[in-house]
Amino acid sequence: MSEIIAQDALRACVSEWLAAGKCVAGPRQVSWNRVLYSYLKKPEELLLDSEARPVNSIKEFFFPKHEKLYGYKIEGNDVRLTETAEALPEQVILGGRPCDAAALPILDHVFNWDYKDSQYNARRAAATIVTIACATHDDACFCTSVGLAPTAESGSDALLVPFGDGSYEVRCLTEKGKALFAGKTEQSDKTAPAHAGPEKKIDAAKVEAFARDHFEDPFWKEHALACLGCGVCAYNCPTCHCFDIVDEGNAAGGERARNWDSCQFSLFTQHASGHNPRASQFNRQRQRVYHKFRIYPEKFGETLCTGCGACTRNCPAGLGILGIATEISHG
Amino acid sequence: MDNIYQPDLMEVVETQQQTSDVKLVKLRFRDPDRAKQFSFRVGQFGIFSAFGYGESTFNICSSSNWKDHIEFCFRRVGRVTEGLWRLEPGDTMGFRGPYGNGYPMEEWRGKDLIFLGGGIAMPPIRCAVWKALENRQEFGNISVVYGARTTGDLVFKDELDEWARRERTRIVQCVDPGGETPDWKGEVGFVPSVFERAKIAAGANSIVLVIGPPIMIKVTMKLLTAMGVPAGNVYTSLENRMKCGVGKCGRCNAGPAYVCKDGPVFSIEQLNAIPLDY
Repeated sequence: MSEIIAQDALRACVSEWLAAGKCVAGPRQVSWNRVLYSYLKKPEELLLDSEARPVNSIKEFFFPKHEKLYGYKIEGNDVRLTETAEALPEQVILGGRPCDAAALPILDHVFNWDYKDSQYNARRAAATIVTIACATHDDACFCTSVGLAPTAESGSDALLVPFGDGSYEVRCLTEKGKALFAGKTEQSDKTAPAHAGPEKKIDAAKVEAFARDHFEDPFWKEHALACLGCGVCAYNCPTCHCFDIVDEGNAAGGERARNWDSCQFSLFTQHASGHNPRASQFNRQRQRVYHKFRIYPEKFGETLCTGCGACTRNCPAGLGILGIATEISHG
Repeated sequence: MDNIYQPDLMEVVETQQQTSDVKLVKLRFRDPDRAKQFSFRVGQFGIFSAFGYGESTFNICSSSNWKDHIEFCFRRVGRVTEGLWRLEPGDTMGFRGPYGNGYPMEEWRGKDLIFLGGGIAMPPIRCAVWKALENRQEFGNISVVYGARTTGDLVFKDELDEWARRERTRIVQCVDPGGETPDWKGEVGFVPSVFERAKIAAGANSIVLVIGPPIMIKVTMKLLTAMGVPAGNVYTSLENRMKCGVGKCGRCNAGPAYVCKDGPVFSIEQLNAIPLDY
């Protein structure tokens, strides 16, 4: 037996969640040529088209591009800190892909080893993640190379597997998922077909070994020549999590905030003295691969890549993890 | 909600201008309970902030035995340090920490200590020198070779003289060629070559703390190897740029090591095992 839900019923759920005061985010056509995961104002905005691929990832609902860490007021010699006391509304993140959702348990490690990031954790706790399994893939997809699949369940509270006729099999994976869809689904004896996904393209273990043993290899230089250092790979990546902490304020007060950052920027590691451990773009390209396939697995036991292909799809210079990792795997 | 990025509020107790662009700041917790509960190891660092300007990472350069206040020392080079430079006694600033591992000084007991550094590398050496002098019986000879570009760039000059008056110490000061004044009585040359010329005895029973750029560490290590000092006895403190200090923001790694959590103190033996990424 399975649970199923039709698209119309799913949109009705969105209406209901919005009416209940929840924030609902999902794929939305934000302009004629751009689909983004963003907050929905009405259920019709939810784009349920398996071919439409949002440019961004759902990480920004947990780790926003810009986030106030705390505020401060300066009064003479004194400073008063003001907590970010905004209560987080319940969120439903709907329609992300399995490669988006799988990034979250991976990110949980870095935001919780030793020091726990309370704002990230509060956002995680307030959200229910409803993922839609992939029915198609494109040339940049390589989830199957990093242990995932079009129906991977990691990070999702519920997984909707499309039948292809506008309805979905609902697989509730956690208590949160069960609670969200309680009474919303119909019983059925059909089970949705699993899409096989892309063939295996890269060998993560080989990439790890190459990153470790060929740090000084000319390969990195050759690859980085095309890189513009724009950082789009990091911004669209579901697992990239580097950030900057800045003050935004004046003599009376302001806030300390964190903004997304990228290891592809030259100032990222530049010392006050002018010395820069990663002075060239090739150092920085290498760092991105090294962090994902070498450092993160060693520290946290997981590859910092879900094979979503976003860096490859969006790079203006035709680079991205897939190309580099493919060359290492087969080169 | 326990916000790991929220700093302690500190009162600036005193500022001391060391050179034309280097200042030492003494600060104290505004919250007396926090002050009582606070402790750190020399070699650890903090994230210090001027509200309205931002945060920056510095070594806590006071000795961990000083319970009344903590100190840090910085060179004015950018926006945050400009904000810190403007602080006056009585002002409030931010502090997060202590972070990182610190020097393994309990393992240094019974050894001769040699400190080598240049310019603004003095603060992370100074905390260890004071700590060693305050526990004088635990250590052998204490030598310091400290250099700066010019005589005007030497920091903690009074303290260098004070250390020289203590028992079993040798303090050698130097300036880069061309940085000397007619009345300069110290050495002229770069720290590694001045160290070599000073003929400070070093060997298997020596601990060396060398703070400086990778090239200085490399040149120094070559000398030390010839003198029989193993790489495991030579330490440095890496200064990779940081934002969070708590292993999240992703920028301070030197190869697989997160400098903020695995460091900032590494032995050269440890550094030899990771790529040159610092």
